[in-house]
Amino acid sequence: MSHAGELISAYLDGELDRGEMQDLLEHLAGCGRCATEMDEMQAVRSAVRSLPMIELPAGLVDRRGPAVVPLRRNRGFLVGAAAAVVAVVIAVAALITPPPQPVSLDDLNSRFGARVSLDPAFGPAKVVVPEIAEVGG
Amino acid sequence: MTESVPLTWEEVARVYGRKMYNFAYRLTGNPADASDLVQEVLLRVRKGLDSYQPGSFEGWLWRITRNAFLDDVRRRQRRPTTPIPEDVDRWGLSVSPSSDFEYERLTLGDDIQKALMDLPYEFREAVVLCDVVGLSYEEIATAVAVPVGTVRSRIHRGRKLLRGLLT
Repeated sequence: MSHAGELISAYLDGELDRGEMQDLLEHLAGCGRCATEMDEMQAVRSAVRSLPMIELPAGLVDRRGPAVVPLRRNRGFLVGAAAAVVAVVIAVAALITPPPQPVSLDDLNSRFGARVSLDPAFGPAKVVVPEIAEVGG
Repeated sequence: MTESVPLTWEEVARVYGRKMYNFAYRLTGNPADASDLVQEVLLRVRKGLDSYQPGSFEGWLWRITRNAFLDDVRRRQRRPTTPIPEDVDRWGLSVSPSSDFEYERLTLGDDIQKALMDLPYEFREAVVLCDVVGLSYEEIATAVAVPVGTVRSRIHRGRKLLRGLLT
């Protein structure tokens, strides 16, 4: 054997058969590099195994079982449902609102004043300048 | 390895829910993603228990778990649109109701968790299934659908990479 390599981890995990274990132990007796690696792998293995086990968040699994729709998608579902309701309201409103009546240019001019007549195509501009109250004096 | 099969998903949830959550948490580093994954896995278990064929129950269960995780990863890659503020909020919500003690428990292994997240996926998965979940190499091989020799190699290489990241 050149070096022990993955036999080291397998040994630490109790995954070696008798023959492999014999080979490994003979190799370790004469190889400082692999003996050091054994120590290092043991330390890393212990470190990962020392990670705290985290408890399941409360309510994640209850007697009714896992939620039919996972949490994150639940939120998407609510947004989708809200959008659907808005769409229906708009559609119904469109159905019951009377169609707009034709509007003449004169109507527009009288209702919106300067904004429409500023366009030279509609004749001379009628700009309405709002009165500005003097402040202070 | 015992082969007694839990008959109901409730038993699966009771016996394995915590391990599933820790598996997911150590793979994702994120409690909200881990919660989602546990729910998804339990749904799949609920659907799949009827068609379960006697064999390695742990291998079957963890294959479902890691496949659910990989499906989620693929889904995110197709739609990487999760807004960051929401994630921050969910993280806060997940942690804040717990006591300081629980928060300390979560952060205790921060350096190890960060190092795990830096591992290529195959190595991280193998190390977590071995050292967090506590599966045998054979059970990991069944779950991941690779030969036992590959599992052995991934665990050792994963640990060597971790050693480099932790020193």
